[in-house]
Amino acid sequence: MAHRVDNEYDYLFKIVLIGDSGVGKSNILSRFTRNEFCLESKSTIGVEFATRTLQIDGKTVKAQIWDTAGQERYRAITSAYYRGAVGALLVYDITKKQTFDNVQRWLRELRDHADANIVVMLVGNKSDLNHLRSVPEEDGQAFSEKEGLSFLETSALEAVNVEKAFHTILSEIHQTVSKKALAAQESASASGRSMQGTTINVAESSTATKGSCCSS
Amino acid sequence: MFGTQIRDVADDFNPSRRRTLWNTPNKSMPTTTHTIRYNTGKKNLFNPHLMSVKFEDLYGFMVEGNVDDVNVLNEVRERIREQGRVWWALEANKGANWYLQPKISSNEGMISVTSLKLSVLTNTITLRRLIRKGVPPVLRPKVWLSVSGAAKKRSTVPETYYDELIRATEGKTTPATRQIDHDLPRTFPCHPWLNSEEGQASLRRVLVGYSFRDSEVGYCQGLNYVAALLLLVMKKEEDAFWMLAVLLENVLVSDCYTDTLSGCHVEQRVFKDLLAKKCPRIASHLEAMGFDVSLVATEWFLCLFSKSLPSETTLRVWDVLFNEGAKVLFHVALAIFKMREDDLLRIQHIGDVIDILQTTTHHLYDPDELLTFAFDKIGSMTTNTITKERKKQETVVMAELDQRIRRLSSLKMDG
Repeated sequence: MAHRVDNEYDYLFKIVLIGDSGVGKSNILSRFTRNEFCLESKSTIGVEFATRTLQIDGKTVKAQIWDTAGQERYRAITSAYYRGAVGALLVYDITKKQTFDNVQRWLRELRDHADANIVVMLVGNKSDLNHLRSVPEEDGQAFSEKEGLSFLETSALEAVNVEKAFHTILSEIHQTVSKKALAAQESASASGRSMQGTTINVAESSTATKGSCCSS
Repeated sequence: MFGTQIRDVADDFNPSRRRTLWNTPNKSMPTTTHTIRYNTGKKNLFNPHLMSVKFEDLYGFMVEGNVDDVNVLNEVRERIREQGRVWWALEANKGANWYLQPKISSNEGMISVTSLKLSVLTNTITLRRLIRKGVPPVLRPKVWLSVSGAAKKRSTVPETYYDELIRATEGKTTPATRQIDHDLPRTFPCHPWLNSEEGQASLRRVLVGYSFRDSEVGYCQGLNYVAALLLLVMKKEEDAFWMLAVLLENVLVSDCYTDTLSGCHVEQRVFKDLLAKKCPRIASHLEAMGFDVSLVATEWFLCLFSKSLPSETTLRVWDVLFNEGAKVLFHVALAIFKMREDDLLRIQHIGDVIDILQTTTHHLYDPDELLTFAFDKIGSMTTNTITKERKKQETVVMAELDQRIRRLSSLKMDG
């Protein structure tokens, strides 16, 4: 393992960032992938993405994080954006109630475009602005419980919980994928067929450089 | 007095010559290299070409690039001066403002050509050729207002139109103004004037003014970048406003920026088809990968490359766009793919496609390299063919958007 090169990984997971304009999607991305926060960042229009490779449950996971525009009218042009995504961070701004109210609409967007098994995590960003808070943490918690999502409040500015949010969702994705792989293996051996031709959403590859079916 | 003096492009950046909206810190030409920073990567220390350099570009943007970018930019600057001399020489020969005479629109058929004077025809051809080689920055406001039809558009309303529009919108809050206020500090923060209070106030007036002029468009993210660059070029706020108006109302296809961006969807589909025709190998390779061109091209078509290409390269595209129309965007977008054909055919991951294209556009400091590809290597596309293709796609897009609304509302009822 000491000789691993950069592009070796066990899994490649595509995660999309969604949520209203200005909730801090781009800064969550830069905080996680480059440990940077930019107070003067440009508003995102097309697609931006960055990757980071990390260890999740003993596996090397390459996380590919995608970021796009948040304005409502952009929603209809993003079906290609969701393609192949196995996780989504649905971000709102804890100081802007409207961005929390729109979370339900974003979930519908996910149900319309993304894979039914996509792992979704609700993220209340800008927790450093607690004095301006307009969405109580309990509301975020209650909503995510109701919808069966994981939940965390983060601060991309102060680097609070961003790492944890990604670790949580990546671990959850990994568990889902392992279970699926296992189930597929079992059903394959039970029916006496080989693994070939079995549909698994995310393929595992030990040291291959292109061990992914999530990125493309 | 024509031709007695050779004006330098640098004059364009000298605030003392004209009432400018913004000043560069340097009174003449922006200096190239302000700070040279080494990347942390060790190998870069020994390769000067990969060294990261922060410099100010031709329109005052603080950008990061490598030493090659700086060298190219210096060459471009020299070429702009040469091109300026060509324009002044023509002015001396044909008279000042010769290019403001009526021109033959590329949309008009050959029938009207016969009724035009030969001199007008000659001027149109000369102008077209000249504009493809670039309009000198100092002449851009005048030339753009004329060839785009913005001057004509303005002449149809009272002179006080813009001032009254701005007065009428003062103190009003709409969803558009809220989104605009949100985006102002996030519009090219790397430009000192756009990052200033004055710059943002000016950009706000243009965007808010337009959102009231056309409530169907209101404000669409991306227009902030377009309007900002227009302000930097036109220097007079009202001129920037009229350029924005003519762009959205006449130059581009309709509904590019309205609530569903349907015009933009249409352009994306047309582009996909053109890519298959003009660059079939790339198109089929990307198709096999499941790469949708709209992932990169949406930003190109909505920001008109202003967010992707270096400023002077973007403006060279806009020179031709205002003179020849929206099909120019297809030429340029195809060229960017074509330029990297070999690399694109080699890669296997969607992420790498985005990486290659974004890196390519970011370092495209040589506008001539891009435009040569766009017009000589891509070959001609008639406006007629594109119009037909748009009509075809329009039906498909409308049906798709309609389906989407129905799907979403059924999901709404479910939960």
